[in-house]
Amino acid sequence: MMLEISDLHAGIDGKSILKGLSLSVNAGEVHAIMGPNGAGKSTLGYVLSGRQGYEVTSGSVSFEGRDLLALEAHERAAAGLFLGFQYPVEIPGVSNLNFLRTALNAQRRLRGEAEASGAEFMKLVKRHADDLGLSMDMLKRPVNVGFSGGEKKRNEMVQMAVIGPRLAVLDETDSGLDIDALRVVSEGINRLRAPTRATILITHYQRLLDYVVPDFIHVLVDGRIVRSGGAELAHELEREGYGAIAA
Amino acid sequence: MSQPLSLDAIGLPGRRHEQWRWTDLSAIDAALAGHANDAAPDPRGWLIDGVAGPVLLFVDGRYCAAGSDPQQLTIETSGGDEAHVLSRLTRGAVGATLRLGAEHATRGPIQLVHVATGGPAHLHHRLSLAVDAQASIVETYVGAPDSWTNVAVDVDLATGARLMRTVRRLGAGGVHTETLHAGVGQGASYMSTSLLAHAENVRIESQARLHGAGAFASLDGILLGRERQTYDVVNRITHDAPGGSSRQTWRSVADDQSTLSFAGKIEVARPAQQTDAEQSVKALLMTRTATVNSKPELEIFADDVKCAHGATVGELSKDALFYLASRGVPPAEARALLTESFISDALATVGEELVRAAVTADAVGWLRGAA
Repeated sequence: MMLEISDLHAGIDGKSILKGLSLSVNAGEVHAIMGPNGAGKSTLGYVLSGRQGYEVTSGSVSFEGRDLLALEAHERAAAGLFLGFQYPVEIPGVSNLNFLRTALNAQRRLRGEAEASGAEFMKLVKRHADDLGLSMDMLKRPVNVGFSGGEKKRNEMVQMAVIGPRLAVLDETDSGLDIDALRVVSEGINRLRAPTRATILITHYQRLLDYVVPDFIHVLVDGRIVRSGGAELAHELEREGYGAIAA
Repeated sequence: MSQPLSLDAIGLPGRRHEQWRWTDLSAIDAALAGHANDAAPDPRGWLIDGVAGPVLLFVDGRYCAAGSDPQQLTIETSGGDEAHVLSRLTRGAVGATLRLGAEHATRGPIQLVHVATGGPAHLHHRLSLAVDAQASIVETYVGAPDSWTNVAVDVDLATGARLMRTVRRLGAGGVHTETLHAGVGQGASYMSTSLLAHAENVRIESQARLHGAGAFASLDGILLGRERQTYDVVNRITHDAPGGSSRQTWRSVADDQSTLSFAGKIEVARPAQQTDAEQSVKALLMTRTATVNSKPELEIFADDVKCAHGATVGELSKDALFYLASRGVPPAEARALLTESFISDALATVGEELVRAAVTADAVGWLRGAA
């Protein structure tokens, strides 16, 4: 088992949001978590990635046999967890290339691996940036500054491809994308599908799931998974709405 | 004059005076009681490698001929400047004197290193550039506990002359004071960038007078404070002639209980039409216990001028810190990366690549140590 979430209760500012969430993810699988606004989808991403301010009150999360909740955010990343942001952050004054190289090498150092040389890094970035339709000129600019919504999401995918995580948790990666960008981003996700990796797609709509077909779909309502099924569940949700499924 | 034995004997104007309201030079008392350490480190260790220009080395206010290569510069004794409470103390002190014509450019940037090991040290530098002459000087002041380095600098730029000063305050502890007077002639440019760190108390007072038409002055700097360090920068730029422009870009990073203050005054006299003056002052509070003071001041008597100033005080963005953490960057490194980008604006005018790289490395070293 790659990821085992057991009876997770968590919240922020004293407000309880996740209320007994359990989920198991094996290597090689793609899981989609769908749910209405306010169900706790983004909170799940933040809790898994270790964002400050989110408090776990009970339950456990094990990631590749380690207690994920005992690790700091950057240690979780180095352990192989990647969070794709719904709203990628702009960082004026730090170029995308510097950001990404700092991140890649920080992870390698934490894992006791050799850092990437300049040439190795540039080759890696260029390949993935080409695949995702971002120019190297854009990557020389400050992180996400002046990027359109679609460009920010492509940038998330470039980061993911360069870092090569074991588990990607992608929060509303499809939001703000037009059809072309959705296709490119979906291809980026599909390229990373491998027997050694897993992906959790957090999404409100089934549109992304037409391009990235999940192995499992879970319906998250009020902090709990109320139903799980195969890819066909997305269409049922689309037809009948969350209310009917949750009932 | 005889050297004072205590801070009180110096007779600083005190906090009721507007220009001194944030000044704290209390560590001068310890410095006046301090003693030079005979086992002084070799000042050559503080030179920037690969910079091929004149070299002037000083230890505790004395010139070190061994290892120096003054070329066009001379070492002269100061008559002091009675008009200023701190400059006055440099009477009888030595310093670098440069009188340069356009036909005698230096091979590369001048490097001046002063190492303080303890006790007071006074220096008086005079930099005069004739018509169209150009020079660049890097001044590195290395402090030590119970030391005080008091520097007076006089700059005189004739028509079309250009001087770039880069000042680094390194080492550990002690007090650093600098009083600068710069006269900038027609079409001449005075540019300075100061990195101020590693001192207990700092006071930098700069007065630049743009007396020629189309003159330019930029007074930029970075203040890095930690523990209970108290730094104070007081700039006064006077535009006396038409068409002049001035820039002030200051970035402060205040950690622990440090207090970093900046007061920048821009004066535009009646004849100085079409003056273009800008001031950008930004500070980062690394902790809630640090203090930042910032005071822009404009005094404008001409009617066709452009003066812009902006001042901000903030903290590192939590969103940006989490974004970096989520990509595997440890908190200390993330803070350093964001802080480096924050201070980089103030290094933009340092022209020589090697010098800018050295100053950047100094600042990064401080930031990584702080984080």
